[in-house]
Amino acid sequence: MPLSVETPHHLKPDWWLRVRHSIAVSRHEPANVIAFILAVCFAYLILAPVISILLDAIFVHSGDAGRTHQDEGAFTLYYLTRAFMSRMSQIILWTPLYNTLAIALGTVACSLTLGVTLAWLINRTNMAGRRWFASALIVPFMLPSWTFAMAWTTIFKNRTIGGQPGWLEALGFHTPNWLAYGFFPIVVILILHYTPLVILIVGNALTRLDVQMEDCARILGAPRRTIAFSIILPLVRPALMSAALLIFADCIGEFAVPYILGLPVNYDTLSTGLYRSLDSRQNGVAAVLAAVIMIIGVITLLIDMHMMREARRFVTVGGKGNMDRQTSLGKFRVIAASIPMAFMLIAMVIPLITLFLSTIMTLPGRFTLSNFTFDYWIGHHLTTVALRNGILFTPEFWQATWNTIFIVGIASLCSGILGLLVGYAVTRCSFRGVSGFLRHITFMPYLVPGIAFAAAFLSLFAVARGPIPALYGTPILLIIALIAEKMPFASRSGIAAMTQLGKEPEEAARIAGASWFTRMRKIIVPIQAGPLATGILLPFISGIKGVSLFIILAVPSTDVLTTYSLRLLDYNYDQAANAVVFMIALIAWFGTLLIQRISGTHLAQGLES
Amino acid sequence: MPTIELKNLTKTYGKNTTPAVNDVTITIADGEFMCLLGPSGCGKTTILRMIAGIEHASSGEIVLGGSVVDSVNKSHFTPPEQRQIGLVFQNYALWPHMTVERNVDFGLRIQKIPAEERHARCQDVMEKLRIAEYANRYPSQLSGGQQQRVALARMLAVNPGILLLDEPLSNLDATLRLEMRAELRRIHETFGTTIVFVSHDQWEAMTLANTIAVMNKGTLQQIGTPDEIYATPQNRFVAEFIGNPKINMIELSKATNSLDKVADHILARLPECAHADTCCIRPEEIVLSDVPHSHTLPMTIENIMPTGGSWVIELSYGSSRLFHSTQQRPYWRVQEQVNAFLPAQALHFFDQHHQRLIIDTPQDESLKRLKQPNQFGSNHTFEPNHPLTQPVNHRV
Ligand SMILES: Nc1ncnc2c1ncn2[C@@H]1O[C@H](COP(=O)(O)OP(=O)(O)O)[C@@H](O)[C@H]1O
Ligand SMILES: [Mg+2]
Repeated sequence: MPLSVETPHHLKPDWWLRVRHSIAVSRHEPANVIAFILAVCFAYLILAPVISILLDAIFVHSGDAGRTHQDEGAFTLYYLTRAFMSRMSQIILWTPLYNTLAIALGTVACSLTLGVTLAWLINRTNMAGRRWFASALIVPFMLPSWTFAMAWTTIFKNRTIGGQPGWLEALGFHTPNWLAYGFFPIVVILILHYTPLVILIVGNALTRLDVQMEDCARILGAPRRTIAFSIILPLVRPALMSAALLIFADCIGEFAVPYILGLPVNYDTLSTGLYRSLDSRQNGVAAVLAAVIMIIGVITLLIDMHMMREARRFVTVGGKGNMDRQTSLGKFRVIAASIPMAFMLIAMVIPLITLFLSTIMTLPGRFTLSNFTFDYWIGHHLTTVALRNGILFTPEFWQATWNTIFIVGIASLCSGILGLLVGYAVTRCSFRGVSGFLRHITFMPYLVPGIAFAAAFLSLFAVARGPIPALYGTPILLIIALIAEKMPFASRSGIAAMTQLGKEPEEAARIAGASWFTRMRKIIVPIQAGPLATGILLPFISGIKGVSLFIILAVPSTDVLTTYSLRLLDYNYDQAANAVVFMIALIAWFGTLLIQRISGTHLAQGLES
Repeated sequence: MPTIELKNLTKTYGKNTTPAVNDVTITIADGEFMCLLGPSGCGKTTILRMIAGIEHASSGEIVLGGSVVDSVNKSHFTPPEQRQIGLVFQNYALWPHMTVERNVDFGLRIQKIPAEERHARCQDVMEKLRIAEYANRYPSQLSGGQQQRVALARMLAVNPGILLLDEPLSNLDATLRLEMRAELRRIHETFGTTIVFVSHDQWEAMTLANTIAVMNKGTLQQIGTPDEIYATPQNRFVAEFIGNPKINMIELSKATNSLDKVADHILARLPECAHADTCCIRPEEIVLSDVPHSHTLPMTIENIMPTGGSWVIELSYGSSRLFHSTQQRPYWRVQEQVNAFLPAQALHFFDQHHQRLIIDTPQDESLKRLKQPNQFGSNHTFEPNHPLTQPVNHRV
């Protein structure tokens, strides 16, 4: 049957018909509804706080009318001027900014160097014990960074600030201030914390490299050095850059370590400065600081996106010729292993042992048998003022533990599920604008320092607004703040998991006649069980370690382990505080081991995203 | 078994300006075995997905078994859940967390078929497709061919009236392809299903389908039986897309000011076709002979390529090139001179819009007297004493 092929003359339906048809189609696509609901929720939970912070920087706060000579709520440049151009701005902004950048850059540079060396030793050489190190070296990243800070003060604390002396001081060595507080210890600790991340990311990239590319260069006669610098390095560079930017962004917002090691000697970073401003009720200045941190975050992200675009130009789908290609280290095989061994010692063994010993010593730094006691763990009727029982017999400790598990548990459960839903909505939604909005808004908290975010939550939800009652002092506030904080990770892994799965398994189920709930229950959730478990457990671990949100939002009745330990520290119950920290570290460690057991390789990928 | 009617179906993805499917109108009869054939990216998968309902039309209408399932003008859309159609995805899309059996009986469970009947039907389909022994394996433990049979069984279990298959043979190796081809034919016969499948491979289309719809760049080019499509291509695209080796294309419009000796020859021989833009002839229709004649072209053999049981011979005349294919072992050598005859009946003409032109060329007079099929199966007439009627490719 021949077909007369004339110019198509079909009626173009006018836009109204198209819209009506789209609505008819969308009625059967629940992803659209979900996307809209999620978009509204996150606009309220994430966008509103962020906007409120930014507005705080340019409107007069209550109580500031006198200082600014303006009415409360009026537009003002007072806070900006004060932060950037006043007599105080050196103290308020410039020095903390300088300190923050110095810490971030120092950490990035050192942890990259150290991390690449270790990654190479582990993945590309026949160093003794490389397999063992491959999993052991990751551990420091699972421990809260401020665990190290606590261990550090336990050893190096000097008489500049009050309280019990450090071990070295007690043993008669004077520790200089630069060693005990401020820039040096903060950078060292952050390096110890982030080097494992570099090892993970760069190691992944190294193992994913197609050895055929190397072989090809070798066949063409390239010497080893040329191969390393002109083949391997350029191909690993995207991974290096992404690790660098990730660490940089994290360091900018880092709060707990400078809080412990910087605040006592007035060594401020942007985030501790922010905390200080909040503490002294200077919300306007705090808002300016928050905005500065966010801007740094945005710039980092833009660089990252630019780099990613560059990197995509030579994305290589390697993997097949992926053999275990090793450089032989010869007789240095064993000696080389001393580098990761030293790292393990410094980054894990010593801090944990220090922490533990500090909890069983009455007086710090005195290593005599009579000085050791388990009273701080399990004692009764101690002579201290408040904490009369060992930690394990203190109801507050168990209350805090329960609070932690309850609050962080619910929050991470929700964020894991929401993350998967966001992934579902983003990949299925037929309105590009909505899915783009969802993708971006869920990533936003990544750019906002936890402290600033917490402050915004406080100002938004402390009082009743419309149908939402005042939430301050309730676990709900902590839970929703935590959910919002964890959304960048949760949504990214949800989107990644759904993108990888593709639409077809669900489409096949639709064709088989399955309704949306059946599809979710029988297809999507079971297939995504692994990523979902990771998406719940990883936020749980990092939630347990978190400090900045809780320090602002928790009240004694909603104390979690971290705030409880800091409170103990404030009261100079160092042993008890360290005991709590030690418990947190253990929970974090075993939790991560559990995740690895459940989800295998998801962990490394999860951390990278 | 329902018919499928596509009416002025158009699909534009997102903000794209060029539609992926453009104004396609096809009616697929009940019980038909139809192939959508076209190069990769021409919109075949998109059409299948729209029929199944996992994409919706941008304009136009789809009618299944008399009821409208997707219509822009009527603002109606029936979701795939309610269409009762089977679709086998190109990469199968098996559910990785379910065993073969669970994959196959999923649809029956959805329909709340009682366990016994479900089990029986599931078993029946799995046996028919010879996957019963893998019932408890997971998809990742199966080979490609087995996975495909599971994907088929999953759809056949619910006994859909319409079965859509996306490139059913393209992911299989040669032996499996033959096996699967027979399998599909058997399914078509035993289940009586209307089958629409998609392919970019003409061999697949020609050997399987009753009807072929050729597509290019989102538009329908021609519908017909495999023979019709091969013998009377309606436009230049179809002529060039179908046939292996490719049809010989001769640009007539450039003849006078070019060095195309073949075009000059055709124009001189058949002045009626002066207004045609191009002309083409299938390689096997060209007749080669050692003896020259007024209607033959002297050509040089440039290359002889064996293609397993047949041979492709590349001929040149000046800068013009022609390909001839034959199932007789050629006895010429490369660089030898031969005489090529292009029978007027075998020539297809197209106008400048690339549409078929019907030109009433005189049958080559000298060839009229005797009708004798040559060894290629076409019905050219030969004159016994004429040099050209010498059995082709045989030296006198
Ligand atoms: N989801 C989509 N979004 C945007 N463009 C698409 C999408 N799916 C297909 N296309 C485009 O539509 C055209 C037709 O695609 P498809 O129907 O898959 O072709 P075929 O199956 O014939 O190879 C292609 O150009 C392809 O790039
Ligand atoms: Mg396709």
